[in-house]
Amino acid sequence: MFIAILRVIVRRLLAIVPVFAVVTVLVFGALRILPVDPAQMSLPPSATIEQVEAKREAMGLNRPIWTQYSMWAQAAITGDLGESAQYRTSTAAVVLDRLPATIELVICALIFAVCVGMTGGLLIFAVRGTALESVGLVVTSAVMALPDFLLALLFILLLGVLIPIFPVNGRLDPGMQVPSYTGFLLIDAVLTGDFRVIVSAFEHIALPVMALGLAFSPTIVRVLHASLINTYQQSYIQQARLRGLSDREILFGQALKNAIVPVVILVGTQFGGLFGGTLLVEMIFSFPGLGNLMVKAMQTADLSVIMAISLIYCATTLIFNSIADALAYLLNPRLRNG
Amino acid sequence: MMGKMYRLPDPGLLIGGSVALLVLVCGIFAPWIAPYHPNDQELLFILAPPVWADGGSMAHPLGTDSLGRDTLSRLIYGARTAVTVAAAASFGAMLLGAFFAHLAGYFGGWVDWIISRTVEIWLSFPPVVLSMLLITGLGIGIDKVILAIVLVDWTRFCRVLRSEVQVARGQDYVAFARLIGFSHFRVIIREIFPATLPMLITLLSLQMGISVVVEAILSFVAMGVPSDVPAWGQMIADARIDMYYAPWGLALPIFAIFLTVLSFNLFGDGLRRTLDPRHTAQRSA
Amino acid sequence: MTEHDILRIKSLEISLMTGHNILNGIDLTIRAGRIHGVIGESGAGKSMIGSAIADTLPQGLEISRGAIEFDGLTLTDMNARTRRDLLGRDIGFIPQEPMSALNPSLTIGHQVCHHLARIGLRTAKTRQERAVELFTEVGLDRPWDLLQSYPHQLSGGMLQRVLIAMAFASNPRLVIADEPTTALDVTIQKKVVELIARTRAAHNTAVLFITHDLQLAADVCDDVSVLYAGRIVETGAAERIIHAPMHPYSRCLNLATPNLSGPKAQLMILPGTMPGPVDRMQMPGCEFALRCPLAEDQCHSTRPALDGVGTEHKSACHWPERTGLITAVEAPTGTAAGRLGEKLVLRATGLGKAYRQHDWLGRVREVHALRGLDFDVREGEFVGIVGESGSGKSSLTKLIVGLEDVSTGVLELVGLDRATAPRADFFDKVQLVFQDPQSALNPRRKIGRLVTQALEGRGGAYSAATRAELVKTLLAKVMLPPEVADRFPDQLSGGQKQRVNIARALCSNPQLLIADEIVSGLDVSVQAQILELLSALRKEAAFSLLLVSHDLAVVRHVCDRTLVMCKGEIVEQGPVEEVFGNPQHPYTRDLVAAAQGPTVSSI
Repeated sequence: MFIAILRVIVRRLLAIVPVFAVVTVLVFGALRILPVDPAQMSLPPSATIEQVEAKREAMGLNRPIWTQYSMWAQAAITGDLGESAQYRTSTAAVVLDRLPATIELVICALIFAVCVGMTGGLLIFAVRGTALESVGLVVTSAVMALPDFLLALLFILLLGVLIPIFPVNGRLDPGMQVPSYTGFLLIDAVLTGDFRVIVSAFEHIALPVMALGLAFSPTIVRVLHASLINTYQQSYIQQARLRGLSDREILFGQALKNAIVPVVILVGTQFGGLFGGTLLVEMIFSFPGLGNLMVKAMQTADLSVIMAISLIYCATTLIFNSIADALAYLLNPRLRNG
Repeated sequence: MMGKMYRLPDPGLLIGGSVALLVLVCGIFAPWIAPYHPNDQELLFILAPPVWADGGSMAHPLGTDSLGRDTLSRLIYGARTAVTVAAAASFGAMLLGAFFAHLAGYFGGWVDWIISRTVEIWLSFPPVVLSMLLITGLGIGIDKVILAIVLVDWTRFCRVLRSEVQVARGQDYVAFARLIGFSHFRVIIREIFPATLPMLITLLSLQMGISVVVEAILSFVAMGVPSDVPAWGQMIADARIDMYYAPWGLALPIFAIFLTVLSFNLFGDGLRRTLDPRHTAQRSA
Repeated sequence: MTEHDILRIKSLEISLMTGHNILNGIDLTIRAGRIHGVIGESGAGKSMIGSAIADTLPQGLEISRGAIEFDGLTLTDMNARTRRDLLGRDIGFIPQEPMSALNPSLTIGHQVCHHLARIGLRTAKTRQERAVELFTEVGLDRPWDLLQSYPHQLSGGMLQRVLIAMAFASNPRLVIADEPTTALDVTIQKKVVELIARTRAAHNTAVLFITHDLQLAADVCDDVSVLYAGRIVETGAAERIIHAPMHPYSRCLNLATPNLSGPKAQLMILPGTMPGPVDRMQMPGCEFALRCPLAEDQCHSTRPALDGVGTEHKSACHWPERTGLITAVEAPTGTAAGRLGEKLVLRATGLGKAYRQHDWLGRVREVHALRGLDFDVREGEFVGIVGESGSGKSSLTKLIVGLEDVSTGVLELVGLDRATAPRADFFDKVQLVFQDPQSALNPRRKIGRLVTQALEGRGGAYSAATRAELVKTLLAKVMLPPEVADRFPDQLSGGQKQRVNIARALCSNPQLLIADEIVSGLDVSVQAQILELLSALRKEAAFSLLLVSHDLAVVRHVCDRTLVMCKGEIVEQGPVEEVFGNPQHPYTRDLVAAAQGPTVSSI
């Protein structure tokens, strides 16, 4: 069974390789069309025209674009993503340095969103047919009208400024330091065993996670609610009731396993939205992750960093999509042995 | 049973529709409604609080910002920017998305394969990232924002409508239209398009809300409209610096975005419920 | 064995929130070991009886009067929890659509064992053994493998057996079977009904058998109640009600059902439709009076009571003894055959169709849907195609109308080769009447525009006036009033929609009409209307008909010749009476035997 699951997931992941290849071509092409000269950007402003020309030659910018792409691709496979014009060091190093923070943020937000969304969906479904259901759906609509960056600002305003419970900047209190074992701050903080550090780390990530997660949750609520209602109209639910099963047994034993599939697919397809949301949320909370880096890179036209981060965004979105696909496939026996 | 029973329209449709209309009116008639010009600076009234807070005055009912510009006027003119972008971008995305959706859903086969793969590649970019990338390339300006939203969000229409088209395509009345010699074009226009229209209108309404948010995001990071055009996102960015002593400056534009998006969402959901054939069938049964 | 009453329903009344009654004064009693049939057309309220017993009435409906007693307990006085405890233990259910009645994401074993656990089997081992025992009892092969299977891996017949096994697992005192065979193929129907009858005998269970099928009820039930517009109009022994009914409605239903044997008679046509719950309120008299061929003034003003007309036989009619006066009109013989033309409108030689299927690994597999078909249809001839699901009859209709391309062989239509002649040449000459009018009529077009849709796309040669004239003629042809032209399909009844569907196909005066299961899913009285309409149309218009149906009696009633299809091949063809009267191929024999009704040994 375990091998079978693994095989399905691997197969799906392999299927995204060609898609990803096309994406790299597109991003590469698009960035080359920009009215920015990467050679000039990568040199100090004081560089002479000759120096820039020499750099252009070295970077292969005078050759046809497909040659440039193949040069980039060959380098990229070995892990060399070029040099950041902004930081004047290896792009790969700059990006990898920030990646764990974003992963941490996204995963926490996803867990938060799924917990809130599932609870909300089940609660609203439990009171179906009553006035409370309408209230629940209106609240869901209202939260849905607040995108992540507005929620972030609202949380800062409410929980950072008016009632200052949570810190609104960075990842730790000033003066605190955590040795990097894994690169993931939350795990590292727990590893230190220092209670103050752990609390501080969790306090700092709380608002960004809540902003991202809460913005994502109403979609889950609505899809789960609609899916449950749809499932309850199926004949086998009626049949289960006729066999005398209790409401609780029907919901958790019969309906949920079928009703969850659309939610899994939703999380997979909408994951890109959540991940993209880190861009602004990180910026607003001065959270040192990829999103923050990306915004700065776009403002300074740091092409190799933009390219690297774009590709990470795309790859992650594609991977999550495939995993969700594979999960939905595994949850549905009709597809599995059809 | 056959007679038309008068029924109250869906509450979401009614409330959402009226608020959306209000925002629309504000946008269109901004120069006549707004008490001040949005860029007029009164350096004597910097960061004035709104009328209900201590020290507020009716001269600036919603207060002023750090340059002494009237918040109410900027909100009204901001509505103008938001509505312009929302309407144009949503309509453009709809046209592009609906066109490819009908092609893919109706013809299937390799046409569907190509369009679906394109959509898949498109969707591998988080929408926010893609729109910001596009703006980096296109430069700032209202037209650029509109173009960026169209290029990002056509896939949303394409994906949903494609499956709607496939459902309609499977109906026997479409097969019949082919049997009596309708051309493909005619079948799509006369038999399939009317069936997907309710979903199209619903998506359009929801997309208006999304467009408002994207425009706000882009203006917020100064990648949207030029700085002399008032926009809600820009107001938020400006007010962020002073939020510790002038929280209303931040809260009001947030509220404006929230209200607008909520109204479009309610309107869209109301439309979906009203136009849902199952719903209508229940009503006539 | 003592036979006491298991179920006793007393003057049950179920009403909508608006106060309109769905069921009215239902009295019904079932003794242990008996099968009681409830017969009615859609809208009569027959399924509500089962729902009322299970306490699963749809929202907005409630029991407004009366009581349901189950084995001495008054269900209607008990609280919801105790009532639910009875379900699955003392009251079993067999559903209408076995395909969707089991959870698709759980194994059969999981679901059956869960049920067995609920009725008190303690260990997993005993549960599994008991499940296997039950599966063997209902005649399922390889019961151990079945435990690991998912519902989609089983056929409808097998699933229904599983569900029957589950329903009888706890030795319930009552089993409610709601149209348990409607969704199954004819040959399987027979076996399932036999199984229900046998199992009930083994467990001495009372069975409430809800159905729309008179023939089926006659064969399987001991007693029968006929339901019309929410009231029982006749109740008594099954034999008597089917063969010597004492209520005009029972009689009319019987005469509206086509037979597979005996002389061909015209089907009884009931005018109008069954009144809905709102209309019934305004009827002081008998609800059937408007459609009854014997109705007199008294019928419209006073409602007849359900009174005894013989031993344990009751009828709600003022003049039950007159029922026998309603007779069928002998079908005119010989006229149809005489008008057959000499020309062939369809000739198939070695016709075949193969589909290429891609599985999820991208491997291509050829599936032969049709193989080596040889047959023809003459001018003015009505030919029936019978076969069960998967026999390839739908593929054949698609080939003929041109929705699919021919793979092998030659298909000649109206003198042209389907494969080489341009598509446009067939548009006016070959038309299809679709099975499901709901899907075949664009809900956004008015009837008038639907029936003349064939004129569109032919340039502007037709003025609005000629078009309106044509609409009137076409609607008259299918016996619809001209004012329906301004309505939308959703405002018509199922039978009316099917007429529109037929009218539309007749618009271009086709030479060959293909009708794909056009009466399946329609009530008996509506089916009779459509079948008689086809016969009537035959007299005035010169077209050939290819009627696809799973119902042999329908084919016999309308057609001259028939083809019997099985697994993509024609196994037998010839004149209807010969094929059905003296079937040669074993498959045809099976079909005919199944259609003649199950042979339930009376116990």
